[in-house]
This record gives sequence, structure tokens and C-alpha cells, in this order.
Amino acid sequence: MELNQITFTLNGVERSLSVGELYGQLKPNETLIQTLRERFGLTGAKLSCNEGACGCCTVLVDGAAVPSCSILTADVDGKSVTTIEGLLDEKGNLDPLQQAFIDHYAFQCGYCTPGIIMAAKALLLKNPHPTREEIGEALAGNYCRCISQYHVFDAIEAVAQEGGAQA
Amino acid sequence: MTKVVPSSDKLVSKSNYKYVGKNCTRIDAREIVTGTATFLDDYAVNVKDALYCGVLKSPVPHADIVRIDTAAAKALPGVRAVLTYEDINQEWGMGEPAMKPILGKRVHYAGDAVALVAADTEEIAKEAVELIEVEYQEYDAVYDPQEAKKDGAVQLYPWRDDIPNNICPGGSWGMQPDGRWFHLVRGDIDKGFEECEYIVEDFVEFDQKPTPLPPESPGVIVKWEHDEEYTVYGTSQSCFIMTIQNETVIPGFKVHAKAFNVGGSYGSKNALVMPCQYCARLSKATNGRPVRWLQSKTEHFVSHETRLGSQIHAKMGCDKDGIIRAVQGVWDIDCGDFCSTTQGQVSVGLGECQLFCGQAEHWDLMTNCVVTNKNSAGVVRGYGGQELNACLSLLMIRIIRASGADPVQALKKNFIHGGQKYIWRDGRYWNCDPSINYDRAIEAAAEKFRWSERWKGWNVPSYVSEDGRYRRSVGVSICGNADVGESWTEGFVHILPRITEPTADIVLQMDITESGMGQRSNVLKQVAEILNVPYERIRITEPDNMFNGTNTGLCGSRGTITCGRAAVKAAQDAARQLIEIAAPRLHAEPDMCVLENYGVKNTARPDQWIPWNQLVPQFCTLTGFGRHIECFSTPSCVASFVEVEVDTETGLVKVLDILSGSNPGQIIDPATLEMQFHGGIGSASLDTALFEESIVDPATGKLLSCNMIDYKWRPFNEFPHYGLSVVEDPINSYHFKAVGIGENTGACTASACMMAICNAIGADISRYPATPDVILKALGKVGKEDAKA
Repeated sequence: MELNQITFTLNGVERSLSVGELYGQLKPNETLIQTLRERFGLTGAKLSCNEGACGCCTVLVDGAAVPSCSILTADVDGKSVTTIEGLLDEKGNLDPLQQAFIDHYAFQCGYCTPGIIMAAKALLLKNPHPTREEIGEALAGNYCRCISQYHVFDAIEAVAQEGGAQA
Repeated sequence: MTKVVPSSDKLVSKSNYKYVGKNCTRIDAREIVTGTATFLDDYAVNVKDALYCGVLKSPVPHADIVRIDTAAAKALPGVRAVLTYEDINQEWGMGEPAMKPILGKRVHYAGDAVALVAADTEEIAKEAVELIEVEYQEYDAVYDPQEAKKDGAVQLYPWRDDIPNNICPGGSWGMQPDGRWFHLVRGDIDKGFEECEYIVEDFVEFDQKPTPLPPESPGVIVKWEHDEEYTVYGTSQSCFIMTIQNETVIPGFKVHAKAFNVGGSYGSKNALVMPCQYCARLSKATNGRPVRWLQSKTEHFVSHETRLGSQIHAKMGCDKDGIIRAVQGVWDIDCGDFCSTTQGQVSVGLGECQLFCGQAEHWDLMTNCVVTNKNSAGVVRGYGGQELNACLSLLMIRIIRASGADPVQALKKNFIHGGQKYIWRDGRYWNCDPSINYDRAIEAAAEKFRWSERWKGWNVPSYVSEDGRYRRSVGVSICGNADVGESWTEGFVHILPRITEPTADIVLQMDITESGMGQRSNVLKQVAEILNVPYERIRITEPDNMFNGTNTGLCGSRGTITCGRAAVKAAQDAARQLIEIAAPRLHAEPDMCVLENYGVKNTARPDQWIPWNQLVPQFCTLTGFGRHIECFSTPSCVASFVEVEVDTETGLVKVLDILSGSNPGQIIDPATLEMQFHGGIGSASLDTALFEESIVDPATGKLLSCNMIDYKWRPFNEFPHYGLSVVEDPINSYHFKAVGIGENTGACTASACMMAICNAIGADISRYPATPDVILKALGKVGKEDAKA
């Protein structure tokens, strides 16, 4: 079916984009990360490998962790997209997962951190009390070269022990 | 195979300070976890007038360009400039010595730059690149330093008399004030070997040029200002290095360098010479349009610098107790297509081997920086030391085995001790500070690892499965680094009293880029201690080479001592000035005054207190200055212990357990220190013993491991337990008695891992990494024709 317009929810706000090749329109081959960063200025998701291997661009699409470099924006029509910026509540308070990453010093350079947090958020939404092994499996697609992994495990485990993430 | 669950020990400091030794939230923590921390590509989103740089890369590894036609590319709408070697002054050169033009007529590896395009969009730049027609005159290519330096080998720089047999001049112009130093000669090598009880000799290779692979690819945005002056926004971990390395390429070239948060570097994103020079030429060609080149991950793999390739043919002798007394050999370094800052790394390697072989008095270790038809090597965490340690430690372990000594005891005794001397990278002798003695730290680490229980003896596995398939053993290695005090550093502490309340804003002016080590926060903790103010109230200036004092950056673990000392001295200077102004008004001697609650208090009469805003003229600033002067007398030390399990059917190796031990002196920030240890797994360190390698197709010269699927890295679900053992004995370094250790944490894990593998399988391996085919070959299960040569 030919799309002339797509509508999706971005961090709780409904957004519509017309699809086409004209200036300003959503190109059919535009990836979600391009749309997020360049149209909406949401630069929390990072474009690193651009082939879905590193997880730095991870966002939630209908609650599932998705590498935004590997999905077309046109394919999120009718879906709900949440980025790292969307984890804050209306008052700007941090999500418990974000707070846990601060409390457990779960980052070094921080470039991969938004993607890791979003992958962890997806895990906790699906499985509020994961084991350490399950955390490792869920984050196996997230690359961190500074080696924040040990502290990340601690942060996610702490949230899991306190009741898991809230949807 | 045994399952491992990732976990790590926690560190606790004995500190009685308010902030130093305590975990403090990093100043950029909220920005990091909310995705609002600014990295270069985030800044670039809003540089709307920037042009996109496209680079045409050579498809062949060694050739001259005999014809190049850019007409179609130039005619493409949206293309603003196209440059080839014909547009570039060939006298300008990158490298040490200057050898590689920014764009040359000759290409030296598959991926070398042939032409540059500046265009309105990334898509147009890519299309234009594909429209450039090139005809090549191809030459043979050489990928192995041993082949490259032979008489008759194809020459990469045949027009250069100073690069005979592809060997670049040794020694570092910038680091060695007394003359180039690249040959370690001490004592009487023949006499040394005569006195040795045991001698080993072998050829060891750590030459697969793994990549440190920070998640953020290298990138720059460059804007031409006038003449040869440019503003550069880079992903560099050091504005200083980006400046000096670029300014040496072109006479009169001047850089105003700025940086943001850096998405990992591990030493590899410092100079950024090629991207900076490419974009500078394009920006000038387009009359000052900013030009951006944020490399794709494949460009990162193909074109950015890797670890040095390291090959050594060495002979080593020890006494009956396993103490190394004599070392002789030739260390060949694979620089790739040109010699960047390799000589400096080589000199650090030569220095570091005198630390872990600290009792050896007889040396004859020659070095050759060899160019080959591969991507250039450059700076990576470990800076020459890891590359040499990985090779020499294997020989060291073999000779200790010959002596029958316990490896931990022997390595401990071999390490440098206070009062002993070594030649450091500047070519000068340095005396190890008398306060240095890492015996207690090494022993504590061995005890925590339960070495005496887990070590079953030479070539005796600690465990063999019932069917004999799985074999485990442990390994150990120790390394040190005296670069922790390198290069001068300056800092300013500005006190800006508030007008409406008796408090103040405090700004540390220091050129520190945040690339993950937390150093921007950690220096503030130290300033807070000196000024007795809340850590959260102090700010630090943005990384910028022009508007801060000098600071080489966080290289070689130098940030702890050098930035720490300069910041502390600046804070002390500010404190001294405040007290000198306040003391007469308080009718007290200066030594009776202390800083408290943004004021100065007379300790003899605690009710007497003057706020800072009454000591500094209204609307004015009080500034303290501090400087660190280069010093190489306080080497750091890390001991790494590793347990592995080898599957003798498949050749796969699993790391079961790691423990790192050190004495970093006073712990500045426990969590940061833990993560500096953990970092020794990443940045092409531990896994260079197991699976990390850049694989070049010998038929085409093309890099086969040029994406994050083909290049192997350790995912979250394969991390072993990480033990930590830290003793916190003060080190005579600066006010807070600390040293940095991050450079070392990975440098010796590779050799510890290789020792464990060899001991588990009862066979020696002489090349890294120990991939399954290498292990199966060592076990005699596959023939030479089935495995890597």
C-alpha cells in the first residue's frame, strides 16, 4: 500500500509526516535514527555502526528494543516510539533505571549508555525481575568498549530487585 | 564449557577526606543518562551550513595514480570542491618524519585516500566520489615487516633515502631532547649472558593490528578562518595533541581546537590528522564553509589508526631464581603505510620493559619502525608498552619456567623497585622514586586470586574434565608505566565571589576532555578539598586548546598526577592569596587561618570569619595558578591474573576469571578506579590474546574485518568475574599521593591470558591471538597447512 502520510507516537506525542521526495518530506528510505536526530533533534540515540550490531541507537518501538538505524521510519506508522529523552516524566524526573545508572556509576564515556538503558528498559518491561544471565542475554547486542558492563549489571539488577521498571 | 556470570568486586578507600576517596556523582551524569550529553555528531546536527566530505579510497594496496578525471564529479550539482594530489602541495607531509602527503600520487594501502569531495549532502558527496575515474599503475604489496625490510623488497617510499628497506628513522624528535633514542643499550650484553643460568630465544608476534574501536567513530568539523588558520571541532580526547600533530604538517598551520564529550578513544582519537587535514583543504577550497567528516564505522575500520604490529626476535637470560639479567633482540614494529607517532610509542615500550625486567642490567634491544601496505598504526591505550609486553612477557615466562621459580614470585622480584634506574622515553636515566615498592600490592593480589592454590605447576593444568576435553590453568603478568607524570600541565582556579550572598562560584580552567575516565569530575573533587567547598559548586571550562592552559590530555594515565597536581596547586595558590588578604584583618598569622564556608576563619578565635566576597574587590575575580612539571620517576604497576578454560576439541578459549591488583596510592574515586581496571578488557587489550585481529586479504590487500560483525568483540553475556585487589599505600607523587593506572590495566592481561592458555595445553604459542586454529595447531591436531602460518 502506498503511504502518503505516517502517524506515530513519539515520546507520548502524536507526530505525522508526509511521505515523498520533496524537500522536508519523509523519504521512503529514511531510517528512524535519521528522523529522530535530524527532524526532531532527539540526539540521545547514537549512530555508530549503522548496521544493527552495536545497539547505540536502540529505542523502544511498542515497548521492544529496536536498533533505530535498521528500521525505516515509514515502518513505525501507527506505532509508539520511545527514545531515551522520553524516559523522563512530565516533571523532568528520571526514570528509576536512569537514576540507577547514576547511582551505580554505570557508564564511562556514555556514548553507548542511552542504547544500553533503552535495551534494559525493554527487558524490564517484559521481565521485571531478570537474572544476571538474562540481563547479559538481553544486552548482548549492545557494545560498550570502555567496559561499563559490570556496573550496568549492578544498576539493572538493583532496579529489578526494587520492582522492575514501570511501563 | 563452564558458564560464567559477570560480576566484579567493589573498592573502598581508607580515605578520611570529604570527597577524595569517596564515590561522587560525575558532573555530567544526568546528561549521560538522559541522552543530552553533547558529542560531536550531536553538535553537527545543528551546523546547518556544513559541507560533507567524501573520500575516494584506493581499491588497490600499492600503486601510482597515472590518470585521474574529476570532471564528472565537479559537474554534479551540489558539489563544491574536488581535490586530488595535483591540488595539494606535496612538500606537506604527515608522519615522523613527514613522509606522507595529504593526498599523494602514490597510494600505500587498500583504502588510502585518492581524492576528496565537499558537497551539500552526504548523498551527493558519495555520488561524486563514484564519478571520479582513476587509472592505477600497480606495484607489489608487502604486509609483513620481516618481508618488508629484506633487501629487494618492494619499497613504499623509494624516493626517500631516509627510509631504506622500508625502515623509518628511529627515535622521536619531540620527546628526546638529547637526540633520537631507539636502541636500548645498557651494561655489557655478552658478559650478561655469560652470567645467566638459563637462556631462551624465540620469535614472537603480536602483529594483527587490532583496533581499539571506540563506539564513536573519528570525526571533525573544520572551518578555514584565514591564511592557514582553522577552527577544528573534533572527537579528540586531547585538543593539545590534535593541535600539535596537525600544526607540524603544514608550515604556518594554526589550529583552534575544541572538543565535546568523546565517545571513547582509548588513545586512538587524539591527533585526527588525516580527517583534520582533509577537511581543512576542503574548507579552504570552499572559502571557509565548515566541512564535516564523521566517519562511518567501515571508514573507521579501514582508514583509522590501529594498534602497532609488534614482532620481536629476542634472547633473554636469567639467574637461578628466575631474575632476568640480560635481554637482547630486535623489535620490528609494523607501522602500516606511514610512521605516525610510532617512534614515541617505541621509546615508551623500551622504557616499560625496563620496569617489568627491572633487575636486568644488560640490554641490547634494537628497534625498527617498518612501513607496510596496510592502514597506519597509531596511538592506542598501552602506547607501545602493551605491544612489547605481550611479546617479551611470553619469553619471560618461559625462562622463569626453565628456572622452576614460581611465576608470581619471580615477576614480583623482577619488577623495578625504589632507587633503581631505567632509561625512559626521553632517552635519559631516571631513578625510581624511593617510595615505590609494589611487592605488597602484588602479594595481596596473588593471595586474593588464591594463586598458590590454583597454580598447580608448570605445564600442569589446574583442572581437566573427565573426558580430557576441557583444560584450565591460570596465568599472570605484571607491567608498569612511568608516563604517569609526562608533559607539563597548567591550571587556573578562579574564585568569583557572589555579590548578593556570602558564597562564590569557582571555576577550574583546565583543558580536559571527558572521554570516559571521569577526570573532569575527579580534579574538581581535589579542588573542593583544598578550598573546603562543596564539590558540586565547582565548574570546569570546556575543552579548548586556546582558552585554557597547556595540557597534553589524559594519555598514559597521566591525568591523575598531572591534572591533579596542577589543579591542587592552583587551588592552593588561590587559598594562599585569600588567607594573605584575610590574615591582617583577622589579626592572625596566615598559618592560623583556614578556609571555611566560603570565607577565611581564624582558628585561634573561631568567631572571627571573613567571607571571600569581602576579600576580593567587588565584581572581580581572584585567580590561583598551578603547574605540573614533567617527571618520570613514579612508575605505576598493575598485576593481572587470568584463569582460562581451553576446549581442546574446538580450540575455543573461555576466560573464567580475572583479577587485577595494584597500588594506585590514594584512591581518588573508587568507582572510577574500578572501571579503569575493567577497561583493561576493552580497547584491544585482553582479547588481543584470544580473538581480536584485523584481517587483511593477502590477495587483494583489502581489510576483511571492516564492520562490527566481522571484527570480533566481547558482548555483555561473555564477561567473566572480575576481581580487584588494591592496597592504598601513599605514593610520593603529589599532594594526594596517587598515581594513574588505566594505561596498565589492559597492557598485561593479554600476556597473562596467553600464559594461562599455554600452561593449560602444555604447549608454547608464539603469536597472538590464540584463535582456535592456532591452539589446535599447537596441540598438533591440525597441520601447518590447516592453520595460520
